[in-house]
Amino acid sequence: MNALACARVRVLLEPYVDGDLAHNDPETARAVGDHLVTCADCRRQHQQAVSLPFRMKALRSPAPRATLVAGVMGSIAPQPQAARAAWGLLVPEALLGAFILWYVSGLDGLTALASGAWSNLQGLAFWGSGTAPLPNVPVADVLLLGAFITLTAIAAYHLSLLAKLDQSAIPRFTEHRGA
Amino acid sequence: MLRRWGWPMLVAVLAALGVLLAIADTALYGPTLGPYATFLIGPSQGVNFVPRQSPDSGRFIKNRFPEKVSFGSPFGRLGTVSPLQALRAFLSNGAGLVLLALAVLLLFPNRARVAVQRLEGRHGIEIALAAGVAAFLLAIGAVALLRFTLIFLAVIPFVILIAGAVALFGIACIALALGRLLQRRLHLGPAHPLVAAVAGALVVFDLAVIPYLGAVALAAVAIAGLGLAAVTRFGSETGWSFGDLDW
Repeated sequence: MNALACARVRVLLEPYVDGDLAHNDPETARAVGDHLVTCADCRRQHQQAVSLPFRMKALRSPAPRATLVAGVMGSIAPQPQAARAAWGLLVPEALLGAFILWYVSGLDGLTALASGAWSNLQGLAFWGSGTAPLPNVPVADVLLLGAFITLTAIAAYHLSLLAKLDQSAIPRFTEHRGA
Repeated sequence: MLRRWGWPMLVAVLAALGVLLAIADTALYGPTLGPYATFLIGPSQGVNFVPRQSPDSGRFIKNRFPEKVSFGSPFGRLGTVSPLQALRAFLSNGAGLVLLALAVLLLFPNRARVAVQRLEGRHGIEIALAAGVAAFLLAIGAVALLRFTLIFLAVIPFVILIAGAVALFGIACIALALGRLLQRRLHLGPAHPLVAAVAGALVVFDLAVIPYLGAVALAAVAIAGLGLAAVTRFGSETGWSFGDLDW
Protein backbone atom coordinates (compact mmCIF):
# COMPACT_ATOMS: atom_id res chain seq x y z
CA MET A 1 0.00 0.00 0.00
CA ASN A 2 1.19 3.52 -0.83
CA ALA A 3 2.19 5.90 1.94
CA LEU A 4 -0.60 8.20 2.97
CA ALA A 5 -0.41 11.97 2.69
CA CYS A 6 -0.70 14.06 5.85
CA ALA A 7 -4.02 15.55 4.78
CA ARG A 8 -5.51 12.11 4.28
CA VAL A 9 -4.18 10.92 7.65
CA ARG A 10 -5.74 13.91 9.45
CA VAL A 11 -9.10 12.95 7.99
CA LEU A 12 -8.68 9.35 9.09
CA LEU A 13 -7.40 10.17 12.57
CA GLU A 14 -10.79 10.22 14.27
CA PRO A 15 -11.95 6.77 13.09
CA TYR A 16 -8.44 5.53 13.70
CA VAL A 17 -8.54 6.68 17.34
CA ASP A 18 -12.05 5.33 17.81
CA GLY A 19 -10.98 1.96 16.44
CA ASP A 20 -13.51 2.05 13.65
CA LEU A 21 -10.85 2.19 10.99
CA ALA A 22 -9.05 -0.91 12.26
CA HIS A 23 -12.36 -2.71 12.28
CA ASN A 24 -13.57 -1.64 8.86
CA ASP A 25 -10.36 -1.22 6.93
CA PRO A 26 -7.36 -2.83 8.69
CA GLU A 27 -4.97 -2.17 5.83
CA THR A 28 -5.61 1.60 5.87
CA ALA A 29 -5.36 1.57 9.64
CA ARG A 30 -1.98 -0.06 9.37
CA ALA A 31 -0.90 2.59 6.82
CA VAL A 32 -2.02 5.37 9.16
CA GLY A 33 0.03 3.77 11.96
CA ASP A 34 3.09 3.61 9.69
CA HIS A 35 2.62 7.25 8.78
CA LEU A 36 2.41 8.28 12.40
CA VAL A 37 5.78 6.64 13.07
CA THR A 38 7.47 8.80 10.45
CA CYS A 39 5.52 12.13 10.67
CA ALA A 40 6.00 14.26 13.80
CA ASP A 41 3.13 16.68 13.01
CA CYS A 42 0.59 13.92 12.51
CA ARG A 43 1.88 12.16 15.62
CA ARG A 44 1.18 15.30 17.65
CA GLN A 45 -2.34 15.47 16.22
CA HIS A 46 -2.79 11.85 17.08
CA GLN A 47 -1.67 12.37 20.65
CA GLN A 48 -4.11 15.23 21.06
CA ALA A 49 -6.91 13.16 19.59
CA VAL A 50 -6.11 10.26 21.84
CA SER A 51 -5.91 12.38 24.92
CA LEU A 52 -9.23 14.19 24.27
CA PRO A 53 -11.54 11.24 24.99
CA PHE A 54 -9.58 10.47 28.10
CA ARG A 55 -9.86 14.04 29.22
CA MET A 56 -13.57 14.01 28.57
CA LYS A 57 -13.94 10.79 30.50
CA ALA A 58 -12.09 12.38 33.37
CA LEU A 59 -14.67 15.16 33.59
CA ARG A 60 -17.14 14.83 36.40
CA SER A 61 -20.80 14.67 35.43
CA PRO A 62 -22.88 17.42 36.96
CA ALA A 63 -25.08 16.13 39.75
CA PRO A 64 -28.76 15.95 38.75
CA ARG A 65 -31.31 17.99 40.61
CA ALA A 66 -32.90 16.26 43.53
CA THR A 67 -36.32 16.57 41.91
CA LEU A 68 -35.25 15.18 38.53
CA VAL A 69 -36.13 11.55 39.13
CA ALA A 70 -39.39 12.39 40.84
CA GLY A 71 -40.28 14.80 38.03
CA VAL A 72 -39.55 12.28 35.29
CA MET A 73 -41.39 9.48 37.06
CA GLY A 74 -44.31 11.75 37.77
CA SER A 75 -44.57 12.85 34.16
CA ILE A 76 -44.48 9.34 32.71
CA ALA A 77 -46.59 7.64 35.34
CA PRO A 78 -50.25 7.04 34.45
CA GLN A 79 -52.62 9.28 36.34
CA PRO A 80 -55.90 7.39 36.52
CA GLN A 81 -57.03 9.29 39.58
CA ALA A 82 -56.54 12.66 37.92
CA ALA A 83 -58.36 11.47 34.82
CA ARG A 84 -61.22 10.09 36.90
CA ALA A 85 -61.47 13.31 38.87
CA ALA A 86 -61.34 15.38 35.70
CA TRP A 87 -64.42 13.63 34.30
CA GLY A 88 -66.11 13.07 37.64
CA LEU A 89 -66.20 16.78 38.46
CA LEU A 90 -68.81 17.22 35.75
CA VAL A 91 -71.33 15.68 38.17
CA PRO A 92 -71.04 18.27 41.00
CA GLU A 93 -70.93 21.01 38.38
CA ALA A 94 -74.16 19.75 36.85
CA LEU A 95 -75.76 19.41 40.29
CA LEU A 96 -74.73 22.91 41.31
CA GLY A 97 -75.87 24.30 37.98
CA ALA A 98 -79.23 22.61 38.39
CA PHE A 99 -79.54 23.90 41.95
CA ILE A 100 -78.76 27.47 40.87
CA LEU A 101 -81.23 27.22 38.01
CA TRP A 102 -83.87 25.92 40.41
CA TYR A 103 -83.05 28.56 43.01
CA VAL A 104 -83.34 31.49 40.61
CA SER A 105 -86.50 30.03 39.05
CA GLY A 106 -85.01 28.71 35.87
CA LEU A 107 -83.80 30.48 32.78
CA ASP A 108 -86.13 33.39 33.42
CA GLY A 109 -84.38 34.05 36.71
CA LEU A 110 -80.98 33.94 35.03
CA THR A 111 -82.24 36.28 32.33
CA ALA A 112 -83.51 38.63 35.03
CA LEU A 113 -80.08 38.53 36.68
CA ALA A 114 -78.41 39.33 33.37
CA SER A 115 -80.80 42.14 32.50
CA GLY A 116 -80.40 43.57 35.99
CA ALA A 117 -76.65 43.54 35.57
CA TRP A 118 -77.01 45.26 32.21
CA SER A 119 -79.23 47.99 33.61
CA ASN A 120 -76.82 48.47 36.51
CA LEU A 121 -73.95 48.78 34.03
CA GLN A 122 -75.89 51.42 32.13
CA GLY A 123 -76.58 53.19 35.42
CA LEU A 124 -72.88 53.06 36.24
CA ALA A 125 -72.03 54.59 32.86
CA PHE A 126 -74.58 57.37 33.36
CA TRP A 127 -73.24 57.95 36.86
CA GLY A 128 -69.77 58.25 35.37
CA SER A 129 -71.00 60.94 33.02
CA GLY A 130 -72.68 62.71 35.90
CA THR A 131 -76.23 62.40 34.65
CA ALA A 132 -77.54 59.80 37.07
CA PRO A 133 -77.09 58.68 40.68
CA LEU A 134 -75.03 55.64 41.56
CA PRO A 135 -77.00 52.46 40.81
CA ASN A 136 -78.15 50.26 43.63
CA VAL A 137 -76.50 46.86 43.63
CA PRO A 138 -79.00 44.17 44.65
CA VAL A 139 -78.60 42.53 48.01
CA ALA A 140 -77.03 39.15 47.43
CA ASP A 141 -78.65 36.02 48.73
CA VAL A 142 -76.07 34.21 50.85
CA LEU A 143 -77.06 30.77 49.63
CA LEU A 144 -76.92 31.88 46.01
CA LEU A 145 -73.55 33.54 46.56
CA GLY A 146 -72.24 30.38 48.21
CA ALA A 147 -73.48 28.28 45.31
CA PHE A 148 -71.84 30.56 42.77
CA ILE A 149 -68.55 30.64 44.70
CA THR A 150 -68.57 26.85 44.98
CA LEU A 151 -69.38 26.50 41.29
CA THR A 152 -66.57 28.90 40.35
CA ALA A 153 -64.05 27.09 42.56
CA ILE A 154 -65.02 23.64 41.26
CA ALA A 155 -64.94 24.86 37.65
CA ALA A 156 -61.50 26.42 38.12
CA TYR A 157 -60.16 23.25 39.74
CA HIS A 158 -61.76 21.17 37.00
CA LEU A 159 -60.12 23.33 34.35
CA SER A 160 -56.71 22.92 35.97
CA LEU A 161 -57.15 19.11 36.06
CA LEU A 162 -58.17 19.07 32.42
CA ALA A 163 -55.18 21.21 31.47
CA LYS A 164 -52.89 18.67 33.12
CA LEU A 165 -54.74 15.84 31.42
CA ASP A 166 -54.39 17.63 28.11
CA GLN A 167 -50.64 18.02 28.49
CA SER A 168 -50.22 14.29 29.04
CA ALA A 169 -52.00 13.69 25.75
CA ILE A 170 -49.96 16.11 23.64
CA PRO A 171 -48.81 14.53 20.41
CA ARG A 172 -45.29 15.16 19.19
CA PHE A 173 -45.00 17.98 16.68
CA THR A 174 -42.81 15.94 14.33
CA GLU A 175 -45.29 13.09 14.23
CA HIS A 176 -48.00 15.34 12.88
CA ARG A 177 -45.72 17.16 10.54
CA GLY A 178 -44.82 13.87 8.96
CA ALA A 179 -48.40 12.71 8.70
CA MET B 1 -59.38 14.67 -10.86
CA LEU B 2 -60.34 14.47 -7.19
CA ARG B 3 -56.90 15.64 -6.17
CA ARG B 4 -57.11 18.64 -8.45
CA TRP B 5 -60.75 19.65 -8.11
CA GLY B 6 -61.46 18.09 -4.74
CA TRP B 7 -61.11 21.23 -2.67
CA PRO B 8 -63.16 23.56 -4.93
CA MET B 9 -65.84 20.87 -5.17
CA LEU B 10 -65.88 20.39 -1.40
CA VAL B 11 -66.17 24.11 -0.71
CA ALA B 12 -68.93 24.45 -3.30
CA VAL B 13 -70.84 21.48 -1.88
CA LEU B 14 -70.52 22.80 1.69
CA ALA B 15 -71.67 26.26 0.59
CA ALA B 16 -74.65 24.83 -1.28
CA LEU B 17 -75.48 22.64 1.70
CA GLY B 18 -75.32 25.70 3.94
CA VAL B 19 -77.80 27.60 1.76
CA LEU B 20 -80.14 24.58 1.59
CA LEU B 21 -80.00 24.10 5.36
CA ALA B 22 -80.62 27.82 5.84
CA ILE B 23 -83.70 27.55 3.61
CA ALA B 24 -84.91 24.61 5.68
CA ASP B 25 -84.10 26.48 8.86
CA THR B 26 -86.22 29.45 7.90
CA ALA B 27 -89.02 27.27 6.59
CA LEU B 28 -89.21 24.96 9.59
CA TYR B 29 -89.31 27.72 12.13
CA GLY B 30 -90.49 26.03 15.26
CA PRO B 31 -92.23 27.85 18.05
CA THR B 32 -91.04 25.14 20.44
CA LEU B 33 -87.56 26.59 20.60
CA GLY B 34 -88.77 30.15 20.30
CA PRO B 35 -86.30 32.66 18.97
CA TYR B 36 -83.39 30.28 19.49
CA ALA B 37 -84.50 28.11 16.57
CA THR B 38 -83.39 30.54 13.89
CA PHE B 39 -81.37 33.03 15.84
CA LEU B 40 -78.63 32.94 13.25
CA ILE B 41 -80.84 33.79 10.32
CA GLY B 42 -83.98 35.22 11.82
CA PRO B 43 -87.51 34.07 11.09
CA SER B 44 -88.79 34.44 7.58
CA GLN B 45 -91.24 37.24 7.18
CA GLY B 46 -94.19 35.09 6.24
CA VAL B 47 -94.07 32.82 9.25
CA ASN B 48 -97.30 32.37 11.07
CA PHE B 49 -96.64 31.83 14.71
CA VAL B 50 -98.69 29.21 16.43
CA PRO B 51 -99.72 30.59 19.79
CA ARG B 52 -98.82 28.26 22.61
CA GLN B 53 -102.02 26.96 24.13
CA SER B 54 -102.15 26.86 27.88
CA PRO B 55 -103.01 23.34 29.01
CA ASP B 56 -106.55 22.65 29.88
CA SER B 57 -106.78 22.70 33.62
CA GLY B 58 -109.27 19.86 33.47
CA ARG B 59 -106.56 17.49 32.40
CA PHE B 60 -104.98 17.72 35.80
CA ILE B 61 -108.08 16.96 37.83
CA LYS B 62 -107.51 13.42 38.92
CA ASN B 63 -111.14 12.34 39.29
CA ARG B 64 -111.98 13.38 35.79
CA PHE B 65 -110.79 11.32 32.89
CA PRO B 66 -109.62 13.50 30.03
CA GLU B 67 -111.81 13.37 26.99
CA LYS B 68 -108.98 13.88 24.61
CA VAL B 69 -105.23 14.05 25.01
CA SER B 70 -103.57 15.80 22.17
CA PHE B 71 -99.89 16.02 21.49
CA GLY B 72 -98.90 19.16 19.68
CA SER B 73 -96.37 18.83 16.94
CA PRO B 74 -93.02 20.16 18.05
CA PHE B 75 -92.27 21.29 14.55
CA GLY B 76 -94.99 23.89 14.24
CA ARG B 77 -96.18 25.00 10.85
CA LEU B 78 -94.14 25.24 7.75
CA GLY B 79 -92.95 28.76 7.26
CA THR B 80 -92.29 30.54 4.04
CA VAL B 81 -89.52 29.07 1.95
CA SER B 82 -87.22 31.97 1.30
CA PRO B 83 -84.12 31.13 -0.73
CA LEU B 84 -83.15 34.78 -0.96
CA GLN B 85 -83.13 35.18 2.80
CA ALA B 86 -81.12 31.98 3.15
CA LEU B 87 -78.61 33.21 0.59
CA ARG B 88 -78.42 36.52 2.40
CA ALA B 89 -77.80 34.70 5.67
CA PHE B 90 -75.07 32.64 4.06
CA LEU B 91 -73.40 35.68 2.54
CA SER B 92 -73.50 37.60 5.81
CA ASN B 93 -73.20 35.13 8.69
CA GLY B 94 -71.37 32.42 6.77
CA ALA B 95 -68.90 34.78 5.17
CA GLY B 96 -68.43 36.55 8.50
CA LEU B 97 -67.65 33.28 10.23
CA VAL B 98 -65.19 32.27 7.50
CA LEU B 99 -63.46 35.65 7.54
CA LEU B 100 -63.18 35.72 11.32
CA ALA B 101 -61.74 32.20 11.35
CA LEU B 102 -59.22 33.13 8.67
CA ALA B 103 -58.29 36.32 10.51
CA VAL B 104 -57.63 34.41 13.72
CA LEU B 105 -55.47 31.86 11.88
CA LEU B 106 -53.54 34.63 10.12
CA LEU B 107 -52.94 36.51 13.36
CA PHE B 108 -51.99 33.50 15.50
CA PRO B 109 -50.71 30.74 13.19
CA ASN B 110 -48.33 29.21 15.72
CA ARG B 111 -50.86 29.18 18.52
CA ALA B 112 -53.53 27.80 16.20
CA ARG B 113 -51.19 24.97 15.19
CA VAL B 114 -50.57 24.05 18.82
CA ALA B 115 -54.30 24.12 19.62
CA VAL B 116 -55.21 22.02 16.58
CA GLN B 117 -52.51 19.51 17.52
CA ARG B 118 -54.02 19.15 20.97
CA LEU B 119 -57.49 18.76 19.47
CA GLU B 120 -56.23 16.04 17.13
CA GLY B 121 -54.43 14.30 19.98
CA ARG B 122 -55.71 11.55 22.22
CA HIS B 123 -59.08 12.45 23.82
CA GLY B 124 -58.66 15.94 22.36
CA ILE B 125 -62.34 16.49 21.60
CA GLU B 126 -63.56 15.16 24.94
CA ILE B 127 -61.06 17.27 26.86
CA ALA B 128 -61.99 20.36 24.87
CA LEU B 129 -65.71 19.82 25.50
CA ALA B 130 -65.28 19.15 29.22
CA ALA B 131 -62.94 22.11 29.57
CA GLY B 132 -65.44 24.21 27.65
CA VAL B 133 -68.18 23.32 30.09
CA ALA B 134 -65.87 24.11 33.01
CA ALA B 135 -64.72 27.40 31.46
CA PHE B 136 -68.30 28.37 30.65
CA LEU B 137 -69.43 27.66 34.22
CA LEU B 138 -66.40 29.54 35.52
CA ALA B 139 -67.31 32.55 33.40
CA ILE B 140 -70.97 32.36 34.46
CA GLY B 141 -70.00 32.07 38.12
CA ALA B 142 -67.52 34.92 37.88
CA VAL B 143 -70.00 37.18 36.10
CA ALA B 144 -72.70 36.34 38.63
CA LEU B 145 -70.38 37.13 41.53
CA LEU B 146 -69.19 40.37 39.91
CA ARG B 147 -72.82 41.34 39.38
CA PHE B 148 -73.32 41.70 43.14
CA THR B 149 -70.48 44.19 43.53
CA LEU B 150 -70.35 47.82 42.58
CA ILE B 151 -66.61 48.16 42.05
CA PHE B 152 -66.23 45.17 39.78
CA LEU B 153 -69.50 45.59 37.92
CA ALA B 154 -67.65 47.40 35.16
CA VAL B 155 -65.39 44.36 34.70
CA ILE B 156 -68.28 42.20 33.46
CA PRO B 157 -68.18 43.43 29.82
CA PHE B 158 -64.44 42.70 29.71
CA VAL B 159 -64.98 39.19 31.04
CA ILE B 160 -67.64 38.58 28.40
CA LEU B 161 -65.46 40.15 25.70
CA ILE B 162 -62.46 38.01 26.62
CA ALA B 163 -64.59 34.86 26.77
CA GLY B 164 -66.00 35.69 23.34
CA ALA B 165 -62.57 36.33 21.85
CA VAL B 166 -61.21 33.12 23.35
CA ALA B 167 -64.19 31.15 22.03
CA LEU B 168 -63.67 32.69 18.59
CA PHE B 169 -60.04 31.58 18.60
CA GLY B 170 -61.18 28.07 19.55
CA ILE B 171 -63.85 28.02 16.83
CA ALA B 172 -61.23 29.01 14.25
CA CYS B 173 -58.98 26.17 15.45
CA ILE B 174 -61.90 23.73 15.31
CA ALA B 175 -62.61 24.90 11.76
CA LEU B 176 -59.01 24.19 10.77
CA ALA B 177 -59.14 20.79 12.48
CA LEU B 178 -62.38 19.96 10.65
CA GLY B 179 -60.81 20.97 7.34
CA ARG B 180 -57.80 18.75 8.02
CA LEU B 181 -60.13 15.91 8.99
CA LEU B 182 -62.02 16.27 5.72
CA GLN B 183 -58.72 16.30 3.86
CA ARG B 184 -57.69 13.01 5.44
CA ARG B 185 -61.04 11.29 5.17
CA LEU B 186 -61.78 12.34 1.59
CA HIS B 187 -58.17 11.79 0.47
CA LEU B 188 -57.98 15.29 -0.95
CA GLY B 189 -54.78 16.63 -2.37
CA PRO B 190 -52.49 19.00 -0.53
CA ALA B 191 -53.83 22.52 -0.18
CA HIS B 192 -53.08 25.71 1.65
CA PRO B 193 -54.11 25.43 5.31
CA LEU B 194 -56.43 28.39 4.92
CA VAL B 195 -58.38 26.48 2.26
CA ALA B 196 -58.87 23.69 4.77
CA ALA B 197 -59.93 26.30 7.32
CA VAL B 198 -62.50 27.72 4.89
CA ALA B 199 -63.97 24.25 4.41
CA GLY B 200 -64.01 23.69 8.17
CA ALA B 201 -65.65 27.05 8.83
CA LEU B 202 -68.33 26.18 6.28
CA VAL B 203 -68.94 22.93 8.15
CA VAL B 204 -69.42 24.96 11.34
CA PHE B 205 -71.86 27.25 9.53
CA ASP B 206 -73.74 24.25 8.15
CA LEU B 207 -74.00 22.82 11.65
CA ALA B 208 -75.32 26.15 12.93
CA VAL B 209 -78.19 26.28 10.43
CA ILE B 210 -79.47 22.76 10.95
CA PRO B 211 -83.16 23.24 11.65
CA TYR B 212 -83.98 23.12 15.38
CA LEU B 213 -80.57 21.74 16.36
CA GLY B 214 -78.46 24.54 14.91
CA ALA B 215 -78.36 26.55 18.12
CA VAL B 216 -77.34 23.50 20.13
CA ALA B 217 -74.68 22.50 17.59
CA LEU B 218 -73.23 26.01 17.46
CA ALA B 219 -73.26 26.22 21.25
CA ALA B 220 -71.40 22.90 21.41
CA VAL B 221 -68.79 24.14 18.94
CA ALA B 222 -68.42 27.44 20.80
CA ILE B 223 -68.08 25.68 24.15
CA ALA B 224 -65.54 23.24 22.73
CA GLY B 225 -63.67 26.20 21.25
CA LEU B 226 -63.71 27.99 24.58
CA GLY B 227 -62.42 24.86 26.27
CA LEU B 228 -59.74 24.26 23.66
CA ALA B 229 -58.43 27.79 24.00
CA ALA B 230 -58.59 27.65 27.80
CA VAL B 231 -56.94 24.27 28.16
CA THR B 232 -54.10 25.15 25.79
CA ARG B 233 -53.66 28.62 27.31
CA PHE B 234 -54.62 30.24 24.01
CA GLY B 235 -52.48 27.80 22.04
CA SER B 236 -49.36 28.26 24.13
CA GLU B 237 -46.65 25.65 23.51
CA THR B 238 -45.73 25.46 27.18
CA GLY B 239 -49.27 24.95 28.43
CA TRP B 240 -50.39 25.60 31.97
CA SER B 241 -47.58 25.50 34.49
CA PHE B 242 -46.70 27.18 37.73
CA GLY B 243 -43.03 26.49 37.10
CA ASP B 244 -42.31 30.16 36.42
CA LEU B 245 -43.56 31.05 39.89
CA ASP B 246 -41.27 28.51 41.52
CA TRP B 247 -37.75 29.87 41.35
